[in-house]
Amino acid sequence: MFMNRRSFLGASAAAASVIAITGCSRGGGGGGGVTFLIDNDPSAVAGAEALTEAFNSSQEEYTFSVDTRPGGTEGDNLVKTRLSTQDMPDVFVYNSGSLFQAIRPTQNLTDLSDQPWVSRLQESFVPAVSAEDKVYGAPYGGASAGGIMYHRPTYEKLGLEIPRTWDDFIANCQAAHAEGVTGIIQSFGDTWTSQLLVLGDFHNVAANNPDFAEQYTAHQIGFATDPNALRGFEHTAEVCSSDFINEDYVSATYQQAIGYVAAGEGAHYPILSSAVAEIAASTPDLVEDLGFFAIPGEDAAKNGLTIWLPSGMYVPAFAENPDAALAFIEFVTSQEGLDILAAEAPPTGPYMVTDVDLPAEVPTATKDLQVYFDTEGATTPALEFLSPIKGPNLENILIELGTGSIDAKTAAQNYDKDVEKQAQQLGLEGW
Amino acid sequence: MRHQVRVNVVSALTFLVFFVVFVVPFALVINNAVKDRQESAKLDLSMPTSFHLLENLQEVFAARDYMLVTAMINSTILTVTSVAAMVVVAAMVGFVLQRRSSRVNGLVNAMVLMGLIVPPAVVPTIWVLQSLGLFKTLPGLILIEITYGLAFCVLLFRAFVSTVPRELDEAAIIDGCGPLRLFFQVILPLLKPTVVTVIVVQSVAVFNDFVHPLYFLPGDENATVQLTLYNFLSQYSTQWNLLFMDILLITIPPLLVFLFFNRQIVAGMTSGAVKG
Repeated sequence: MFMNRRSFLGASAAAASVIAITGCSRGGGGGGGVTFLIDNDPSAVAGAEALTEAFNSSQEEYTFSVDTRPGGTEGDNLVKTRLSTQDMPDVFVYNSGSLFQAIRPTQNLTDLSDQPWVSRLQESFVPAVSAEDKVYGAPYGGASAGGIMYHRPTYEKLGLEIPRTWDDFIANCQAAHAEGVTGIIQSFGDTWTSQLLVLGDFHNVAANNPDFAEQYTAHQIGFATDPNALRGFEHTAEVCSSDFINEDYVSATYQQAIGYVAAGEGAHYPILSSAVAEIAASTPDLVEDLGFFAIPGEDAAKNGLTIWLPSGMYVPAFAENPDAALAFIEFVTSQEGLDILAAEAPPTGPYMVTDVDLPAEVPTATKDLQVYFDTEGATTPALEFLSPIKGPNLENILIELGTGSIDAKTAAQNYDKDVEKQAQQLGLEGW
Repeated sequence: MRHQVRVNVVSALTFLVFFVVFVVPFALVINNAVKDRQESAKLDLSMPTSFHLLENLQEVFAARDYMLVTAMINSTILTVTSVAAMVVVAAMVGFVLQRRSSRVNGLVNAMVLMGLIVPPAVVPTIWVLQSLGLFKTLPGLILIEITYGLAFCVLLFRAFVSTVPRELDEAAIIDGCGPLRLFFQVILPLLKPTVVTVIVVQSVAVFNDFVHPLYFLPGDENATVQLTLYNFLSQYSTQWNLLFMDILLITIPPLLVFLFFNRQIVAGMTSGAVKG
């Protein structure tokens, strides 16, 4: 039983095409090529491309290229997969704080404690990229903040002042509502935006109890049992049941919400300061109409800003070109590197390197943040940078709360239960 | 008279459902693909006030160093090769399984079922690929797509081979046909309806696959078309006009294939009978 000629020809043609494909897909890499992995945010990609280009022309030895990954949960999975299969590019950007702790830094990353830029870091940033007293990451770009973005022309027209207490804030919302402007915008269509009134309130919690983060990690205190921490949940319930919230708050998306504030249809929107960069990109002529203030608390004297630390740059423990990676990181933390980055990706807040200042031409809303940074004790990193615990379901619980399915106390209790699982997975004491 | 009215109502309803399910989303895509960034951020069906078709088109193609072109080439190779291999291998397995009963049949059937049931694990699969030197290569991903699609195809082919009369095999063998010729020249042409079904179902699945290329084929030079969507869609910032233009561009190739081969596809799926 032998093959006839035609089927033999067919089989060899198929074999040849497989070989041809194998031949095509080789190439890439080789020489002094190093890859820099960053998330796929358009301004982040533009910044990374400008940085690698400048670095490539500043030295001869290595050629950096940019590779992208998705953000969010998909990105978390991808980073963990690539680390555990030892396939991570030599420099990569990933969140600092609790997500950084989740990628097992002591096992997967190179210790950077002896690098020259470590001494120039802001004190508040160091714990967010450290594990077992060793520094594993360098700051990538500027910090951002969680607070309330407001429409400045509305404030001028109504003669309002920036509120320092929650009661003043509610009064401002009502004043705007009386003039036909929506008092406060919420956008549960993008679930992550529901968390700002709780997470962004952390400075006010920490101002009343500076040890909150430690006690929280040790399971001595919770959101339901601490009246100050519970206030964030109560605020969410209060604004969502008020008559001055936008009618479509359950379904509105982040994009729509920032559109409402930029156009002056809404007076306030609790959000991250990175929204300013988004508005600067989508509606550049409206960006100067926006301002930013911290979420008001009970005590005007203690009011301050909750900040989100920038992502870190890390080098995997199995990096192929660690020297190139370290040189690149040093470049990105220098004045020159940060200026190049700022030209492509406008900073959303102050830098985490002490001797580099923000460029002069940033939007007003970003300058509003600098005031808090310049005041002693007026900024606190968000809880997720001070404690490894952050429950995955906070946004869902807050949406239940915001739509009136449960009350504030129950929501806080549910969240305390949600973080329990995570704390046990991390093997923390006291859980 | 009343009967007539009811039929009209039903057909009107069908048309309405068709309109809502197919036309509205497509109109949304086309409409937003020609807007500028500000207008498209509103995400509505209002007519664009200015047309940016060519600019958007150019920007989508040029993004990340013409990644879309690489991605189109990669996706085409991936889809054509893996679907072709699935058809040939699954038809062979189905034919042998159905025609020749032996002790291993039970084992093979169990493996096919396991292929459908056992969930894929990403990290161990990458270890296997790395040890074979196939990780981050297109052939590696092609093998993965074949593996994940094969079980389903084998089930389809095995069921259909049983409708092909055994007498045809016997007649061919008596006339001096070898096993390969028997399969490729006698049996495979008779399996056309299943072949067409498999090609349609699997090429849509492979072309639209997002997760496997994301994990098994990382790197910009290895992108497939679904991954290019992430050039314009990120967690905090989305360029809707470019995203919709990209969606439009990567919907066109499968759409063209279906338009051109529509008759063959429908004929293949409906003609089940053995002729001659």
